[in-house]
Amino acid sequence: MNRRQFSEKIVEAAFMGTAAVRNIFGSEKPDPVVAGSRSSKLVRVNDDVDAAAAREALDRGLIVVTGKSTTVAAWKSLFREDETVGIKLSCVPGIRLSTSRGLVAAICAGLQSAGVKAQRIVVWDRTRRELDRAGFPVNRDGIRYRGTDEYPGWGYSDQVEVFRTIGSCFSLIVKEVDALINVPVLKDHDITGISGGMKNLYGAIHNPNKYHGNNGDPYIADLNTHPIIRGKLRLTICDASRVQIHHGPAFSGRWARDWGGVFLSRDPAALDRVGWEIIETLRSREKLPSLRDEDRQPRYIQSAAESGLGTADLAAIRLVGLKGVLE
Amino acid sequence: MTKKTTGSGANPVEARYYDRLPDKKIRCRLCPHECRVADLERGSCGVRENRDGTYYTLVYGNPCSMNVDPIEKKPMFHFHPGETAFSLATAGCNFVCRFCQNWEISQKRPEQVKSVPLSPDQAIDAALRSGCRVVAHTYTEPVVFYEYMLACAEAGKKRGVTNIMISNGFIQKDPMIELCRHLGAVKIDLKAFTDKFYREQCAGRLQPVLDTLVLICRQKVWLEIVVLVIPTLNDSDKEIEQMSDWIVKELGPDVPLHFSRFHPTFQIRNIPPTPPQTLMQARKIAMDRGVKFVYVGNLISDAEHTYCPHCGKTVISRVMYSIDKSGLAGNRCRHCQTIIPGVFS
Repeated sequence: MNRRQFSEKIVEAAFMGTAAVRNIFGSEKPDPVVAGSRSSKLVRVNDDVDAAAAREALDRGLIVVTGKSTTVAAWKSLFREDETVGIKLSCVPGIRLSTSRGLVAAICAGLQSAGVKAQRIVVWDRTRRELDRAGFPVNRDGIRYRGTDEYPGWGYSDQVEVFRTIGSCFSLIVKEVDALINVPVLKDHDITGISGGMKNLYGAIHNPNKYHGNNGDPYIADLNTHPIIRGKLRLTICDASRVQIHHGPAFSGRWARDWGGVFLSRDPAALDRVGWEIIETLRSREKLPSLRDEDRQPRYIQSAAESGLGTADLAAIRLVGLKGVLE
Repeated sequence: MTKKTTGSGANPVEARYYDRLPDKKIRCRLCPHECRVADLERGSCGVRENRDGTYYTLVYGNPCSMNVDPIEKKPMFHFHPGETAFSLATAGCNFVCRFCQNWEISQKRPEQVKSVPLSPDQAIDAALRSGCRVVAHTYTEPVVFYEYMLACAEAGKKRGVTNIMISNGFIQKDPMIELCRHLGAVKIDLKAFTDKFYREQCAGRLQPVLDTLVLICRQKVWLEIVVLVIPTLNDSDKEIEQMSDWIVKELGPDVPLHFSRFHPTFQIRNIPPTPPQTLMQARKIAMDRGVKFVYVGNLISDAEHTYCPHCGKTVISRVMYSIDKSGLAGNRCRHCQTIIPGVFS
């Protein structure tokens, strides 16, 4: 560890509290386990997935990534009853390619099964406009659905938080919640290669437009390493019911594939690495050039791994429940 | 493709200089970033948005900052000295300068700052009401509110109000040529003379800025250059020498060059203010290399005055924004009749 890295660890510790102090002298990388399911029940019908099927896939995956024997125990190992949990969606492309409502309903039900009250769940994205376009209401069953822009002052902190290459004001929702669940949609991205979990958190800062240079590397990694994100992100659940394999991140019907999958991990780098491979596999089947060939491979995943966020080596990632999908 | 703008106030107006791409994407042709922007996304500037395959500026007629400033504050020393400029800005910038003094508006999106509707005609009205014959597009980066600036310049021209741009110069050739037809003067912040600095400290590139400087000179628009000197980052003698040589060779010795003092701000808070001797050394190097009018800014000193390059006498003396131009007769040195380059009232 050099002097710069040590200084950054100290800053991290200040943000993250006592749990992070342990990290100063030895990083605690999450287990590189990615668990998922594919099923015809997870294919979108009317731009949505069946909530019961999503819940089943979710519960199965959670048991794998937490190592607990029951789903309630699995949820409880990640979230306390008295915590406020933010669920970050991906709503920019509109209802045809946004996080599906059925999956969000399943996540909310899972949290509530662990004792988290509906009032302590905030389902959110950047703007009310985006939530509306993705079919999310203002409130449902006591759960808050919020755009950052619905908070005073357009919903970002006044203070610019500087960490490595990132200098941004964070959504007040991120500041308010104790824990985050990130629920991206798996998409090709014409600049950053893919848009999976880590890229989705660009929606947490006021100036994402500033960090698309160099294919998003190392900006995406640095944002996710930022103590404000790293200290709160507990789980990433990727909605792969419909995957945009080309010409993303906007929805393009010609290149959207109903893949019928959900996969999740506590390791954001491993999850994105698997997502990248899924997209490459699907592109290869359709004779599309690889992201490497187009010089837009998501190098930020490796940068994230090198920052201690997780694992980017596919061979070192334990993939459960998605057998054969990368062939 | 260029498009005519319509509308004013807070309503989105179709942007100029962009290409439509498949799948409702666009490629912006306004600045050298050439952002490819998907539907409902924005370019690097944060103020231009793709809506269903059409690119819009969200800041047309929507300034977030308006003030009446001495023109010397820009700084602009050879363009109507002593005048006041009605100065305005919208949110947004195409750079991310880690030392930006106006980051609270330049690094924000339009919806993140308080703005007021002000059409180009209303801006000219406001300038005239304030006793200003100059409108300065400044504070943030006017390139990102290009359509608004252009419309203000066109409206001002009809009513005897000159528009000037205070910019980083990161703009493509065609829009800059169009703009030059309507502007009275341009001040460019030359952030440094290395591409490394531009990439690491500004998220930009050097060469496009140099191209813009040459273009402005060729278009015969009055030009001044400002360099913010930041200790250890862009203050080496070698860099100042190279920069000065380039200015003399490509732009000529008459372009005024201002070395400004850095103060810690935004993302650079660990570097102290520029020592006065560093600025004076930079000035000496530039003058030794042949630049005739070199100034030091953000610091009270004799280096704020304009000296006749022939007889050496003071033609305009300045103390901060207070000026005495009794040494100037029209555009000549009162003492030896040498022409002083610039635009003088």
